[in-house]
Amino acid sequence: MKITLLRSLLVIGAFLCFGSTQAQEVSGSVRDANGPLPGASVVVKGTTNGTQTDFDGLFALNNVADDATLVISYIGYKTVEVAVAGKTTIDVTLEEDAEALQEVVVTGYGSQAKKEITSSITKVGEEEFNKGVVNTAANLLQGKVAGLTIYNKGGNPNVDPVVRLRGISTVGANSSPLVVIDGVVGASLNNVDPNDIESITVLKDGSAAAIYGTRGSSGVILVTTKSGKVGAVKVEYNGQLAVSSRAHLLPVMSADEFVAAGGVDLGSKTDWLDEVTINGSSKINNVAVSGGDGNSTYRVSGNFREEQGILYNSGFKQYNTRANVSTRTFNDKLRIDFDASYTKRNSNFSFNEGLRYGLLYNPTAPIYAVDSPFPFDGASYGGYFETLGLFDSFNPVSIVKQSTNLGTRDEFVYSANFNYDILDNWDVNVLFSQQTSKSNAKGYSPTTALYLGNATSPIRKGLAQLYSEERNFKLFEAYTTYNTNFAQRVNLSVTAGYSWQQQNQFNYFLSAGGFPNNALQYVNALQWSSDLDNAGFANYNSNEWPDDRIIAYFARASATFDDAIFFNASVRREGSSRFGVDNKWGTFPAVGVGADLNHYLKLTNVDLLKVRLGYGVTGALPPTFSLSQNQYVDNGSRLAAVPAFQANPDLKWEEKAETNFGIEFASGRLNATLDLYTRNVRDFILATTIENLQGFDSQYQNAGRMQTNGMELAVNYDVIKRDKISYNTGINFSTYSTVLKEFTTPQQVIADLGSPGQNSTAMIRVAVGEKIGQIWGPVFTGEVVDGSQVLADVNGDGVLNTGQDQALAEDGDFADLGSGIPDFELGWTNQLSIGKFDVNAFFRGAFGHSLINTFRAFYEPRVGSQGSYNFVNTKYANPEITNAQYSSLYVEKADFFRLDNLSIGYTFDIKENKYIKGVRLTASGQNLFTITSYTGADPEPQLVDIGETGIGAFGALGSNPLAPGIDRRNNYFAARTFTLGLNLNF
Amino acid sequence: MKNILKATIISSGLLFAASCTNLDEDLQGSVTQPFTVDIPQTSFEGGGPGPADALSAAFGKLRDAGSANHGGYWSVQSVSSDEMAVTQKGGDWYDGGIWIDMHRHTYGPSSGPVNDTWNGQYSAIAVCNDLLATNLDANQESQIRVLRALFYYRLLDVYGRVKVVTAAGQNPAQSTRAQVFAFVESELLGALGVAAVTPSMDLSTSPLGTGKNSYRVNQFAALGLLAQLYLNAEVYTGTARYAEAANAASYVIDQGGYILCDDASCIAPNPGKRPAVDSDPENLTGYATVFAPHNQNNPEIIWSVAYDGVSAGGMNFNMMTLHYASQFTWNFSDQPWNGYSVLEDFYNSYESGDARKAINFLEGPQLDYNGSAIIDYAATDGNLEISYVPPINELEPNANRVGGVRLNKFSYRLFGRPEMDNDMPLVRLGEMYLIRAEGLARAAGDWSLAIPDVNTIRARANVSGMSTMTADSFFDERGREMFMESTRRQDLIRFGKYDDPWWEKTNSDPYRSVFPIPQPQIDASSGTLTQNPGY
Repeated sequence: MKITLLRSLLVIGAFLCFGSTQAQEVSGSVRDANGPLPGASVVVKGTTNGTQTDFDGLFALNNVADDATLVISYIGYKTVEVAVAGKTTIDVTLEEDAEALQEVVVTGYGSQAKKEITSSITKVGEEEFNKGVVNTAANLLQGKVAGLTIYNKGGNPNVDPVVRLRGISTVGANSSPLVVIDGVVGASLNNVDPNDIESITVLKDGSAAAIYGTRGSSGVILVTTKSGKVGAVKVEYNGQLAVSSRAHLLPVMSADEFVAAGGVDLGSKTDWLDEVTINGSSKINNVAVSGGDGNSTYRVSGNFREEQGILYNSGFKQYNTRANVSTRTFNDKLRIDFDASYTKRNSNFSFNEGLRYGLLYNPTAPIYAVDSPFPFDGASYGGYFETLGLFDSFNPVSIVKQSTNLGTRDEFVYSANFNYDILDNWDVNVLFSQQTSKSNAKGYSPTTALYLGNATSPIRKGLAQLYSEERNFKLFEAYTTYNTNFAQRVNLSVTAGYSWQQQNQFNYFLSAGGFPNNALQYVNALQWSSDLDNAGFANYNSNEWPDDRIIAYFARASATFDDAIFFNASVRREGSSRFGVDNKWGTFPAVGVGADLNHYLKLTNVDLLKVRLGYGVTGALPPTFSLSQNQYVDNGSRLAAVPAFQANPDLKWEEKAETNFGIEFASGRLNATLDLYTRNVRDFILATTIENLQGFDSQYQNAGRMQTNGMELAVNYDVIKRDKISYNTGINFSTYSTVLKEFTTPQQVIADLGSPGQNSTAMIRVAVGEKIGQIWGPVFTGEVVDGSQVLADVNGDGVLNTGQDQALAEDGDFADLGSGIPDFELGWTNQLSIGKFDVNAFFRGAFGHSLINTFRAFYEPRVGSQGSYNFVNTKYANPEITNAQYSSLYVEKADFFRLDNLSIGYTFDIKENKYIKGVRLTASGQNLFTITSYTGADPEPQLVDIGETGIGAFGALGSNPLAPGIDRRNNYFAARTFTLGLNLNF
Repeated sequence: MKNILKATIISSGLLFAASCTNLDEDLQGSVTQPFTVDIPQTSFEGGGPGPADALSAAFGKLRDAGSANHGGYWSVQSVSSDEMAVTQKGGDWYDGGIWIDMHRHTYGPSSGPVNDTWNGQYSAIAVCNDLLATNLDANQESQIRVLRALFYYRLLDVYGRVKVVTAAGQNPAQSTRAQVFAFVESELLGALGVAAVTPSMDLSTSPLGTGKNSYRVNQFAALGLLAQLYLNAEVYTGTARYAEAANAASYVIDQGGYILCDDASCIAPNPGKRPAVDSDPENLTGYATVFAPHNQNNPEIIWSVAYDGVSAGGMNFNMMTLHYASQFTWNFSDQPWNGYSVLEDFYNSYESGDARKAINFLEGPQLDYNGSAIIDYAATDGNLEISYVPPINELEPNANRVGGVRLNKFSYRLFGRPEMDNDMPLVRLGEMYLIRAEGLARAAGDWSLAIPDVNTIRARANVSGMSTMTADSFFDERGREMFMESTRRQDLIRFGKYDDPWWEKTNSDPYRSVFPIPQPQIDASSGTLTQNPGY
């Protein structure tokens, strides 16, 4: 392997540095039955010397030896080899390759012709990807695949989007789909630059995903990266410049309005949001070099991204490089693919609290201490003004300008794949891959920062926080595939294999405060912390995972009868180290049938009419390891370990059984795909309240069952299809609803609204027989008496019970206030090309969902003692309400329809020249307009609850899938982005 | 065009010159200038978490069981009484109405604090059970049995009907209140090694010792707990046990060697003394020292929960009661939450001159560390200087932010943390006098028998003795003495006043004197737990 690798690298090196020396020119033409073939590859066999045919199908190659052989190839055609034999002109006609022309779709551990597939699979090619500034691979697909939901609420550049396929598939660990990059299971989407992606295939249903067992329960996203093509060196450059600005904000009062509404006047007029936001600019540069000779291909890319968020000081710089090398040896029987990718990202997270307090800080407060209306010791606060002695009140400019919150992320992955053809119809594939990711976060608030820095304290000012995490993932997989056909009409393909996966992690966290002054960012010199003398303040913890292992055996058989009836079956037997001794293994079968009906019906004007039915079972792992062992924690004194965690040795696999029925139809310019599915998640794993008899009040259990029924429809139509003008439009539509069928308790309320004043206020109800995502609370009648909302006597018993301890009581007056999950979602693609221009317009919408606007719930009431926070001032604001209580008043319909992306491209007609082969310019806008009645910053559904992080929470947010629909105060604000892009091909 | 090009070249040249020739060394992790700063050094004298012996896991659970923090046993006992309230201050402290319900006795089975109280006790019981399954000596075993009995006593008191789990893996049937009472009683008697509490009982063979260590259990701690249990026995079982309550208390008073702290016998430095504020006393004396920071060796305390700001967190009264801006009075490390206030009627039950009034409550204008007035910039009535006033305008929704005097009995230290240094007495000599007084009076049906002990307590508070005594006047006196020690709800029930109306509360139904079994526990019990009557 080493030698081969070395050779591949040498090939690249030689390619980059030298040219050939012989001097004979060969020219000619390449055509097919219909005429010239532009873009066909012509390469001198065994060398790197090659070219492509021009628009007239002509080529010319220098330095061709007399005895050389030319390899002429073109996608979808059979490759031809022609001996030069002294000729200077060679004309070739290529034959179509019927098999190759069929669209091939990557599936688990192999690929299949699209028509043979019996499950719900959607492939999205590069030309269909979202345009503009796309920083993560997931965003390429947003809105493009029916049933695949991708939301990054607010669009914080440092937060990965939430990706959900067909809604909630598990409440446990892997609620995001499994990502497979070039065959590497469990790869990180963060480590592939969107520019390096050729296509993405989404395995939507259980019968497709079952071959991936455990990790496929939430669906599978297969990413195929670009690889080199045989031919001359190709250099491609993509550059983008973008500017983002605030798209929409929750309305708050101006200084004058605030004073008029009874707010405390501190004498200034400050637009805090203007002070903490900027127009962010982004620069993206991608360079890729690719090529190959007869035996080897390569592609190397470098991607540079510099992104500024709209929040002051937020953004990142990222460098990514990827090398894909492929070579054949042993008479072409062994193919070796070696891929490596490295990503380094330096992030500046800044503080989302800057946005939060930017909204709600007193608009009459001055920014700087010198403008204080009363004597104020500005020097202690870095020169900034602060409203000391108020709860949860911090000058946002001081936060984002004084404190730092930085992070780095390094990801490295490599994989080596060996594919050997034992016979023409029997091959063996062996893959080894290793992935390392390290992330570090470093926060510092100086001694003059009130927020986190505790500037008022005489004894412990300043705070340094450090977090470090290293993760390792190893993968070994081997499988073999055998194809045969018998009786002419039956094709059979059988695959069997083994998979071994292991991951572990080490992390540590340190925080210390009490620094002497502002001479340094003491996070870089922790030894100055007075916490070292004042015991108990410094905080440190570390944790190493055990080797967390998954081992699996899998097999699949595909059979085709008569080229029209398709049958697929697979089974995976999988074990995980996370379960107790007796329940480590699970078996996950799948079966599917499909029929090309038109093969028999022979309907005129119908090109495709296929039906398919698939059933598959996948499993899901518990969210963490060691649930089968009791765990004890320090009781605070470091003197005794007390029970923390009740083991469940009987914990077993969560299973998702899914049945999918699909129809695919194509007729002329129209094609459509319809999928109907039902999925049953049994034994889902959740931390569950248990009767406290042994000192524990909760335990991870196989806690219940939920069922999702859904429908997805994708329709595409070529409205105009002419030489100079074409227009294609496509709509995808999806809907689902998930009902809790069984649960350990009949009902419970979860998701606390938070501080100030609304702790112990659950907003979501989880109940057997009801839909997941039910927003729950008292109902506002519209009437206000003495400053309080008059709440409805929902059950009409004449007694009003709206206290939280009656939230589920029979005599409680609470009601279903809306759903956090949309009724349906829509994506509408339009592609228009006129001559050299092309226009893409993509609209996206979600309908029927509600959001709890928590900013309003806290800051819209005209609370007297709140007179130093700004008041939220939406159309719902009622100045008579003078105290805060969560109710239906703060739950809003959040249906929206959005022009997500509009891009216009122009491809220049370049005269043939030595240097540049193609130039293309694009201009695009993202998030151009949104139609919605939602008053908050962003109406996108909030699929998981990120939780109410306390002041200055450091590290990850929560992600509870049972509590969708809560627009928390720590969400980022949405941006509108304009992008200019340049694409050059050399 | 040419100019633009020129400008571009020049400016990028400048940029290049600036960025690519900079060789400054910018040290990130080293200080490059000398400095000295003057920061007060703190010391940590809260007494630590108690002895590091085999029993520390179980005794440490006293802290986790909600003995002095927000949201658990202490809050449930206190907020449901007429001592204090957590008022809704407009946008703050509504918290789903749970504290309003607690105050008005409209709490339900889903109340979070009711469930947390339950979990706190059972989690502690499990640790005791685990420890009892190990090789303990007779003294250790008896101590843990007493400790476990305390947790069951709380369950008996709050919920009545609970399951009595005595070893890991058990799931016994739900006991009646009388059965739980019998269990607690027999455990305590067993640990003491006697069949009954009599004036002539002989404790010489008891596995429990007599050495004084307030973080562990000796004979007097066990007897003190038994005295509390017997005092309330009639409520729990219908059978009065007042004589035994008096006997137990009397034994502790006579044999224990503990001291009722008065101004002469107990003097300690005042850890809350602000150097710039002359009115802050240098020393604390008497009653104040029993509850003050660093009270771990106080001679009145028989058994206490060990709290320490560094190593034994769990007492948060400073955060719970003080206004946000009161941070500046003691220069706390954290900002308080402005939650709990004392009811005006309760405050007024103290006569002026009662030493306990000034100790138990924080009233009037508040000064910062340097002696200047503290300002509330959000005050809307134009009165910016913070001053705690006894009346509260309303319980909800817009209670005055400085309404109600504040809890101050467990007093505050300078530079305090959210975790306080004060220990919480579970059994102290002062209460033993009151139990003996009440026990004797009730056993004989003659309240005048309570006068001598009550007057002992009153004398320590620098108020004159009483010459006549009624149930009500005894009740008031007990309230004044035991404020914040989570006995008020029991006292209200025992004196038949728990269902009475008081400020912002109407009559409540008698069934409310036991709390509902928490709904999450019932839901998880597969039908083996049933709800208390009325709920």
